[in-house]
Amino acid sequence: MKSEIIKEKLIYKGAEASLFYGHWFGREVIFKYRIPKNYRVEELDKKIRIERTLNEGKALIKVKNYGLNVPQVYEIDAQNSILIMKFIEGEKLKNILENLSENQKSNYFKKIGRAIAILHQNGHIHGDITTSNLIITNDEDIFLIDFGLHEYSDTIEDKSVDLHLFKRVLISSHGKNFEICFNSFLNGYRSEYEQVNKPECNQIIKNIHAIESRGRYIKPGERK
Amino acid sequence: MKLLKKYCMGIESTAHTFGIGIVDFEGKVHSLINDIFIPEEGGLHPALVREQHLHHFKDVIKKALVEANLSINDIDLIAFSQSPGLGPILKIGALVARMLSQSLKIPLVGVNHCIAHIEIGRLMCEIEDPLTLYVSGGNTIVSAFESNRYQIFGETLDLAVGNMLDSFARDAGINHPGGPKIEKFALKSNNYLQLPYIVKGMDLSFSGLYTAAKRLLESKDYNNKYNLNDVSFSLQETAFSMLVEVTERALAHTEKEEVLLTGGVAANKRLQQMVQSISLEHNARFKAVPLKYAGDNGAMIAWTGILRYTSEGGHDLPETIIKPKERMDNIAIPWRSDGSK
Repeated sequence: MKSEIIKEKLIYKGAEASLFYGHWFGREVIFKYRIPKNYRVEELDKKIRIERTLNEGKALIKVKNYGLNVPQVYEIDAQNSILIMKFIEGEKLKNILENLSENQKSNYFKKIGRAIAILHQNGHIHGDITTSNLIITNDEDIFLIDFGLHEYSDTIEDKSVDLHLFKRVLISSHGKNFEICFNSFLNGYRSEYEQVNKPECNQIIKNIHAIESRGRYIKPGERK
Repeated sequence: MKLLKKYCMGIESTAHTFGIGIVDFEGKVHSLINDIFIPEEGGLHPALVREQHLHHFKDVIKKALVEANLSINDIDLIAFSQSPGLGPILKIGALVARMLSQSLKIPLVGVNHCIAHIEIGRLMCEIEDPLTLYVSGGNTIVSAFESNRYQIFGETLDLAVGNMLDSFARDAGINHPGGPKIEKFALKSNNYLQLPYIVKGMDLSFSGLYTAAKRLLESKDYNNKYNLNDVSFSLQETAFSMLVEVTERALAHTEKEEVLLTGGVAANKRLQQMVQSISLEHNARFKAVPLKYAGDNGAMIAWTGILRYTSEGGHDLPETIIKPKERMDNIAIPWRSDGSK
């Protein structure tokens, strides 16, 4: 019998997982395959890969329910640590950011801010918000991908760290556009979060500075 | 006038080891003497360690000079461990260093203990620019040189891995130091028991793992369905897999071509094997620091003192105040400002 699930080509190889492009019952999909690590004992290795595949799949499904643009999960093959999800066709925000108009930048980053606020309000931490993990589709929709470092948390600290890491990425990879991008992002984040809990939103944003003042995150140039 | 070799005496005093190392400015170690506090029971009580160091330091210095075949007047520079460590113990090292520097009228330089571990590793293993996994009783740090600092890519959020292993060993009734004995027990088993595996982004947490392993010892199944060998094996496998996962991610991110394993726990053969395995996969050269220099010692302090002194001079007395909590990524590394050396 001809298989309906076809892995076609490797498109990315990371430290933890490989991404393959392929088809799943006629649909274009991404296979996220967590690779076995032979340095650790098999039982532990398998447990880690199963847990993480399940966590990521479940998180994507939950987040999708809040109306956020994340890849639709088609299948979680936990035993083989494979996550099969919709292939999002588009460009990484990282690659097109420089070519956007001021208006587009501000609009996109407001939208991203709102999406992250919705995640945070519902107790989800993405853990790796970067411009490589944001896909702009041909219809100008924004998709948030890679929930591999996702965690459940409702603390101010974790949410601030999530924002702070994004800020760092913007500074290091998009320094020229940092001001407009991050300010629009915060505006979007505020406008959404304040509707639910204004004091908490203020605390989260204020706490970013507290995190920055800790040695670990200070950039060399900013240090005395 | 004949050319004289210049010597630095390094004083290590951050925890259980009071160490003196004498190193010349070319990087040759002439002596290395350690006096290690071994508790009769329990862990390191700072006041007791301090007491021992205070009583022994003179003898350690004398022994080191004898081993190097030098007189105290041949020493040109004093280096001491200024940070991080246990306050009362750091104070002893600083005290001895200031005293020697003042009475011999020679310059004095304070050194960060964690940076010293990396620098002695670079010297002894002849490597340039490694990603370092530094694991000991007091520290668990994944670090690499970037933007003129030893940047920290991952670290423990609670217990250091060596501390965790020693504490577990104590609970199992094993004498200090427990790490090497746990390694031996672990070799006799391949029965993996489930234990919590906690990696948070790039950081590690060992406290829950410790508690879970301790519960296994207290359970009625202990010495019934499983024994100490099995728990030791499972504890090591879990803790080391956590360390290696973070190290691998940092290696993929920094794309360094060398991996250095240092600190007291670096003596563990299983950990060496695991770190070697990921190094191979990323085409990086793997080196474990020889045990003599991997644990706390005075030679690493002396060598790092030389590096600091030759690049930016000594410290004035007010600058030699101890800093028990100082992070190594707070300190600029002028001797590697060109990215190498």
